[in-house]
Amino acid sequence: MTDSKPVTLPENDGRSSAAAGASWDRSGRAPGSRLESLPSCYLQPIAITLLYGLAGLLWLLVGDPLATAWLAGAAPLAPADLPRSVLVLAASGGLLYGLLRIQAKATRRAMQARDLARDRAARQQAEDRLRQTRDELEARVQNRTAELLAINRALEQQIAARIQMEFALRDSEERFRQLTEHIREVFWIYGLAEERLIYISPAYEEVWGRSIQALHDRTLDWLEAVHPDDRPRLRIAHANKLESGFFNEEYRIIRPDGTVRWVWDRGFPIRDDSRHVYRIAGLAEDITARKLAEDQLRRQQVELAKMARLSLAVELASNMAHELNQPLAAIVAYTQACVALLRQDQTDPRELTGTLEEVAHQAMRAGGIIRHLRDLVRKHPTTQTALDLNALIRSVIDYAQLELRQADTVLNLELTEPLPAVLADDIQIQLVVLYLVRNAIEAMHQTEPGARGLTVRTAPADADTVRVTIRDTGHGLAADAVERLFQPFFSTKPGGMGLSLSVSRSIIESQGGRLWATPNPDRGTAFHFTLPCFVNPAGSSRSP
Amino acid sequence: MSVVPTVFIIDDDQAVRDAVGLLLRTAGLTVETFSSAALFLESPAVRRPGCLVLDVRMPGMSGLDLQKQLQQQGCRTPIIFMTGHGDVPMAIRAMKAGAFDFIEKPFQGEALLGRVREALQLDTLERRRQVRRAAALERMALLSPREREVLERVATGQYNKVIAAELGISLSTVEIHRKRVMEKLQAGSLSDLIRTLALRDD
Repeated sequence: MTDSKPVTLPENDGRSSAAAGASWDRSGRAPGSRLESLPSCYLQPIAITLLYGLAGLLWLLVGDPLATAWLAGAAPLAPADLPRSVLVLAASGGLLYGLLRIQAKATRRAMQARDLARDRAARQQAEDRLRQTRDELEARVQNRTAELLAINRALEQQIAARIQMEFALRDSEERFRQLTEHIREVFWIYGLAEERLIYISPAYEEVWGRSIQALHDRTLDWLEAVHPDDRPRLRIAHANKLESGFFNEEYRIIRPDGTVRWVWDRGFPIRDDSRHVYRIAGLAEDITARKLAEDQLRRQQVELAKMARLSLAVELASNMAHELNQPLAAIVAYTQACVALLRQDQTDPRELTGTLEEVAHQAMRAGGIIRHLRDLVRKHPTTQTALDLNALIRSVIDYAQLELRQADTVLNLELTEPLPAVLADDIQIQLVVLYLVRNAIEAMHQTEPGARGLTVRTAPADADTVRVTIRDTGHGLAADAVERLFQPFFSTKPGGMGLSLSVSRSIIESQGGRLWATPNPDRGTAFHFTLPCFVNPAGSSRSP
Repeated sequence: MSVVPTVFIIDDDQAVRDAVGLLLRTAGLTVETFSSAALFLESPAVRRPGCLVLDVRMPGMSGLDLQKQLQQQGCRTPIIFMTGHGDVPMAIRAMKAGAFDFIEKPFQGEALLGRVREALQLDTLERRRQVRRAAALERMALLSPREREVLERVATGQYNKVIAAELGISLSTVEIHRKRVMEKLQAGSLSDLIRTLALRDD
């Protein structure tokens, strides 16, 4: 029966509260928050409603045994008992309603108080936000003002700078004009689109001896001035210049008066914003003086090389004379022994065969020595071969043994083994080592005999050069003497010709090496030279 | 000690060694060759009679070095240096250091032979003199101090009377000493005595 249900389920929008007992009463008014706990918030009001319903039913059962019995199906309900049961039911329903009303009122009050507090907080927040916004606005205005001031200042500065720049530009233009019109170099600008020289500085007239007007009239006028021998080369270079924008040539020009001048002419591409070459700027320089100096230097070098060969020849000749005397002495002694034997009647001439063969052999040996000497003295390109520098140094030291001993010099060989072979001319390098050793000995002339030490060291300098160092403990050199050492006819030694070091340097440099001197930290001087390593055509370097 | 004087040829050049050796052997001389100064110095040949034919310029120990070494060892074997074309300064030094001679390569066989023979002769004489000197020194060692004092004065030509006065002894004592000196030194006359003294002082 419907009336037996004492309470209806209150409308429940799913609010839940921490206070379990009162939760369902105020749930209807709960503000929309914490929707996420929806399932659990239904449970409490339902449970409480059920509890209330159960209590009502209990109340009914206790208060009305007849109804209970009826409900239990034990006995039909008598019509006479009906009013009493209704009364009991109405009374319990009224009581329940009253309870619910009280509860609802209390809940409403509590919620009003909370909403009030929340509104206050919201207002406070809004006020805070408003204040903040106002502050920000003020700051922004200030910033903006500062910015505007800064922009203003910058503008003022820019204006000042621009004015200055204009002055500078005018100045720079002036300077450029002064430069191009007064320097001895010829400055030119070629326009690719125009296919002609846009600008050429007045020095052109001075260097070429031709008028700029003629050049402007006929673009190729400059080429006509070029020496006929250089003209084909220049024509090609000019064509390349138009292609690449680059130009770098040394050539001769013939001036109208017939004199020849050397010119070094260089050009560089000028690009527009789209990186497109549209002009070529260049500089042509009169290098006649330099060329002459170079020629003279080259002639001097040739002379020096000749001198080197000559001193080489002298050095070798005396060495060879000694060499030559050996087989000659042997030949004379052999033949005279043969003659003596033949005079002794009992000698069988056949016994002399071996001796005579030896004579022929020695004569051949003498011939070989002479041929070697002639080869060396004759002007022929140096014969570069793979050389074992250590072996070479040892043989030179052997040769200089006597000089070393006479000078009471203690020799110290620090030869790295194995040492990569170098590519050089055997005889010439021997001469250099000999010169340097002698130089060291002479440098120690005034050193007390106990302290005369000569060190010869070999070591790879890097992957493809070998360095030889010859160090003495002599009187050393003044700093300015170190470089002048290698100049011809410079000598710090009394009676020195001053040639051996310059000859040595030209020999070493002609073999692709370097020769230089450094003062030792303690005493004396060290001479170093490098030579390129021999690279086997097969690819790997080897030691002979 | 071998009696036959030997020519020791020292040259690093095999052909020269061989040829000069042959030349000297052909002339009937006894020859031994060495390829380096060091080899010669190490061999017993250093003490043997003869002469050296020595190349001045050799790798390692040069001829001049060997000369110096031999002098330091008291070896007085005459040395003939063979020099090359440019070795004149070396030859001069060798001569100053007491070389017998130097001969420039290439040389006439006869010239070398002549100098070698002279050198050998000198060596023989020198060695003979050395033997005599050794004997003289041996005999001198037998003298008493007093006899030696008397000998010194006799050698300078002092009269017995003067010697007696100087030494503070009697004339007859001087005469006895003098007689004993003559006996001990096996000298038959005053000139023998002087010669023995000269050998000692050499």
